[in-house]
Amino acid sequence: MNIELILFGAFALLTLLSAGTVIFARSPINSAMALVSTFFFMAGIYVLLWAHTVAVMQVLVYAGAIMVLFLFVIMLLNLGESSTRGKPTVARVAGGAATVGLFAVLAIILLKLPAEPATLSTGAQASFGTIATMGQVIFTQWLFPFEAVSLLLLVAMVGAVVVAKSRI
Amino acid sequence: MSRVLTILVAMFTIVFLMAGGMASAYLVGGLVEEHWFTGASRLTNVLFLVLIFVMVIATLLTMAERKWSAFIQDRMGPNRARIALPGLKNRSLGGLPHILTDVLKMLTKEDLIPAAANRFMFNLGPILAFAPTFALFAVVPAGPSVQVFGRNVDMVVATPDFGALYVLAIASLAVYGTALAGWASNNKFGLLGGVRATSQMIAYEVALGLSLVGIFLTFSSVQFPAIIGDIGNALTGGTGQGRYLWRTDGAFDLGLPAWGIFIQPLGFLLFFAASFAETKRAPFDLPEGESEIIGYFVEYSGMKFGLFMISEFVEVVVLAGVTTAFFFGGYHLPFGNEWLANLPIMQEHGWLLGTILGTVFWLKVLFLIWVQLLIRWTFPRFRYDQIQSLGWKILLPLGLVNIFVTGALVLWDPSLRALAVLGIAEIGILVVLTTTTKVPAGGAHGAHAGHGHDHGHGHAHGGHGAHDLPAHAHGAAPASTH
Repeated sequence: MNIELILFGAFALLTLLSAGTVIFARSPINSAMALVSTFFFMAGIYVLLWAHTVAVMQVLVYAGAIMVLFLFVIMLLNLGESSTRGKPTVARVAGGAATVGLFAVLAIILLKLPAEPATLSTGAQASFGTIATMGQVIFTQWLFPFEAVSLLLLVAMVGAVVVAKSRI
Repeated sequence: MSRVLTILVAMFTIVFLMAGGMASAYLVGGLVEEHWFTGASRLTNVLFLVLIFVMVIATLLTMAERKWSAFIQDRMGPNRARIALPGLKNRSLGGLPHILTDVLKMLTKEDLIPAAANRFMFNLGPILAFAPTFALFAVVPAGPSVQVFGRNVDMVVATPDFGALYVLAIASLAVYGTALAGWASNNKFGLLGGVRATSQMIAYEVALGLSLVGIFLTFSSVQFPAIIGDIGNALTGGTGQGRYLWRTDGAFDLGLPAWGIFIQPLGFLLFFAASFAETKRAPFDLPEGESEIIGYFVEYSGMKFGLFMISEFVEVVVLAGVTTAFFFGGYHLPFGNEWLANLPIMQEHGWLLGTILGTVFWLKVLFLIWVQLLIRWTFPRFRYDQIQSLGWKILLPLGLVNIFVTGALVLWDPSLRALAVLGIAEIGILVVLTTTTKVPAGGAHGAHAGHGHDHGHGHAHGGHGAHDLPAHAHGAAPASTH
């Protein structure tokens, strides 16, 4: 029982708890704030995986920017409490099926993992997960996927502007 | 004459207090390194830097802000609270006892929670507003790392690999406190304040990040110790902002240091404007807007309101600290840096060098705090659309241009001299624009002298863009006191 395992247990438990709150909270603001804390505890798990750059990016981009946007929209529309119960529509059934499918895939992958994984804390190099290493990998080995993703985001942004332009 | 003397005595007292604080921080750091364990000085740094220096300056700022606003508005400022101690002759002591009365009032006021409020979120609001601003200072080095009692002592709490990204990430979390406070009070004015705060934060977050990319490019690092750099000696030149772009030969080094302000003046203006907007102080005080909506903290009383207020002042201190580290050379002296560091007595007693340079750091911080007070009490509040267009249409494109120009010049001349020439030219253009801009006298909108003054400063501070906007834009209500 080392400190890494204890921290992982704490972060995993808190992640699950906040993720559960996201789903079961009635008020959209409570859901959004629970999602923020989910991202935060996920960042803690990233740090345990020696991916501290990913962790700080998670806090910076998801907790710090995207969720602020969510909160802004919720507050602007002044969304009230909503009930999750309702008639089973096609979208709900499809969503449920997709969730079960995803869970099954993850479970299969989890079962195929070796029982005793190599601990990263002993095997990783000192430079693993640093901002310099990540930058090098992104801009050399994974340059094309990186640029493709940024192009995708640009297309989405232009699309959003085109859609919104006709209504203002 | 006695007034000048009082001011001089006060200034020397401040410098001596800061030097004493830094000296004890270094000496205690050395002691705990020796007697406890390696790295224990990081723990005492939390105490000295964050709890003592930042907190004391933020507390004194509550008074300095009122006194400075009084000075600008030709008033006396608060001077009624006095301590009846023998020897003080019932003096007002520059209003200092008011800090005590403020705290007493906030602690003894009834802590009211509106019946229709969401209790949990209502209580969470002040915590979420205060905690991130308080944690921000952890990565800012307040002094060089020197040998004390044979042990290495850093004057910083943490030096993570992602350095400046930590500041950006944690600073962006502070808005949750504001937004939640506005929403949870179940008050329409509070909600308006919260929504304004979030929209403002979104508009300036991108510009804030982009404005720092130029600094990351020039110093090829995101870490504070690397950006601030080390002091050189006879054999090697310094690194980061501790080196000189041009310097005279000889024992006493004199020259142009590679400070961010000289090589990234545009980046500095963008960063300062964007982070000023994130502190939610006038002219960006729309989330508060006392004269129209009172703000997100309208339902808060007692110390919960006090937390919102003090977190604003902590933000001011942290912003000054981060700006000093990025753009004003951190703890480095503008000249004589290498001469001082290589004196035999400084080599022998590392804590002495640390104390002097640490005091230099806090003096720079005080200067930048003063600049922030000056801006806060000079500009009237912007209109909402002006805030949005300033963030998206002026700061964001300028930030992108700054990145491209900086990148090209760093690639062309890695010694950064080309960048410094451009930077000094930019500063010169700004000075010329500021001094030669004609002040529009009066006008159809009943603009008084203060408005013309603002136009001049709009140029001086680059991105404020006051000159692009209609003159009646300044018609907003005057900024009010707390």
